[in-house]
Amino acid sequence: MRLSIQGLSLGYGRLTAVDDVSLDIESGDMVSIVGPNGSGKSTLLRGIGRLQRPTRGRVLLGETDIRSLGARQVARQLAVLPQSPDGGADLTVRELVYRGRFPHQGILQRLTRTDFEAVDWAMKAADVELLAARTLAHLSGGERQRAWIAMALAQQPRVLLLDEPTSFLDIAHQVEVMELLQRLNHDGITVVAVLHDLALAARYTRRVIAMREGRVAFDGAPAEVMEPVGLAKVFGIAMTVLTDPESGLPIPIPRSKASLTPRDAIATDRP
Amino acid sequence: MTGMAAESPKQGSALERRVPARLAGSTVVLLMCVTGLLAVSLLSMKLGAVHLSWNEVWGGLTSDSEPLARNIIWQIRVPRLVDAMLVGAALAVSGALLQGVTRNPLADPTILGVTAAAGLASATVIVIDPRVPQWAIAAACAAGGLIGAGVLFVIAYRGAVSPVRLALAGVALSAFFGAAIVGLLASSRTFLQTSLGFLAGGLYGSEWRDFRAMLPYLVPGFAAAILLSGRLNILALGDDVAAGLGVVTDRTRLAILAVVGVLTAMAVATAGMVSFVGLVCPHLARYTVGSDNRALIPVSALYGALLVSIADLIARLVISPSEVPMGIITAGVGAPFLLYLVRFRE
Repeated sequence: MRLSIQGLSLGYGRLTAVDDVSLDIESGDMVSIVGPNGSGKSTLLRGIGRLQRPTRGRVLLGETDIRSLGARQVARQLAVLPQSPDGGADLTVRELVYRGRFPHQGILQRLTRTDFEAVDWAMKAADVELLAARTLAHLSGGERQRAWIAMALAQQPRVLLLDEPTSFLDIAHQVEVMELLQRLNHDGITVVAVLHDLALAARYTRRVIAMREGRVAFDGAPAEVMEPVGLAKVFGIAMTVLTDPESGLPIPIPRSKASLTPRDAIATDRP
Repeated sequence: MTGMAAESPKQGSALERRVPARLAGSTVVLLMCVTGLLAVSLLSMKLGAVHLSWNEVWGGLTSDSEPLARNIIWQIRVPRLVDAMLVGAALAVSGALLQGVTRNPLADPTILGVTAAAGLASATVIVIDPRVPQWAIAAACAAGGLIGAGVLFVIAYRGAVSPVRLALAGVALSAFFGAAIVGLLASSRTFLQTSLGFLAGGLYGSEWRDFRAMLPYLVPGFAAAILLSGRLNILALGDDVAAGLGVVTDRTRLAILAVVGVLTAMAVATAGMVSFVGLVCPHLARYTVGSDNRALIPVSALYGALLVSIADLIARLVISPSEVPMGIITAGVGAPFLLYLVRFRE
């Protein structure tokens, strides 16, 4: 399902965090949003996911403005996973995943066959079936993140938005989560993730949107847009971009802690 | 459990095995609560200023052969018992809702000032007109409880508020309304013992008219609590997750707090300022059925009914034929429990 973001502005009080951003995200795409702290990338995701009311502009899901739909109607098509959710520590994984059925349930929350099937599918897809009876508080970071993703999948969304799904995870678990998102994307779910790690963004997403000071700085396929000058401009630090010999994808590496103006960005050893 | 069970029993039972609820535990708890309530009910009908024999209790309950026993049971003891159970259930459900909505295990209508807000309303109308009818007291309490809940909402959810600040705000509200109540009662000519019973909380002299005054508020209140329990489960996952699942968080919290205001108010209208029931019962319920509010709220109600009816029985018997305010008994159980929570639970 296509997402169309039109002239979206979001803020906190007088502070503008996202300033007049327009983007189209095609159905079935896998997109990362990167940028330095405070660049508005998480706020943009909150705006798209209906967690925060925009000060201007709108978000279309398919042809419909998400503000004109009910909250539960949106939640049936679009799932948002905030950064490191802290609730539900005393729930088992299965109980958590059942919570994801909320937007589909009637007022008495009677469970139907559809609910059971959706939960089974979500737990299988996120590979948490073996954790079903474990309590969330007793899971490792990677397991917990998969459990939350399973909850989001139980919503049976067409679009999955995630805010830094790999933060606080070790490398193996980062790869595990990104590969899970890749599989889901192959199954037809549109994935939009805020990512801190540029190498993960380059390796796993087909389109990278970089935010700086509330605006889109660059936007495109990783191999095209992840070049030293553009990255230095966005992150305010000199970058070298290597090429992964296996995939041919860019691997950005920060070069020095000294902050640079865009003009000072150093050359690349990339051909 | 599932609508499909009837169509294909095999499939139905397979599905039921996967239902994520601690059902087996709930059934045992349910049976124990019902048995307990039955036992307390029988003892409450038998014991009191006038001790009845079991034969008299049976005769009074079922026939006209024992006019005195019949009168004592149907006009004094049964209505008081019913009031006690409803007061306990209302307070326990209020506590469960508050603990869920604030995500704070120390939340309770007394600690957060809702009881005192309703109490101030009640004290005000009684001081203005000591002969005020019970339905008017209930209405005033409902208004007071809603105002208290509204103040709490504004303090708790406008701007970032930590659990500690919420508890402190509650203490401040409680102290403020409490002081106003004592001031009102002290400056009026209301009979001192009535005031004492009201402040400590008790069911002295409560009868069918209290029941009739509470009912129009309690029925929708309990129904709303049950219907909101699923949303409360979602809110417990955190605001952003809840919003992502389609819960309108502020509207839901406001609705839950309004229910708390009304339920607490009915307890205050009938029994005065009973403390600690709303704190203790949800914890006991959580201990037995877990944190799923769809089970937690009804089980809390049962525990509340049980606790207050036992406390009232003790209050009536301990210095019989006189009696102590029932709230002293619940505080005697509740205060040590609060200390235990503070000391041993994170």
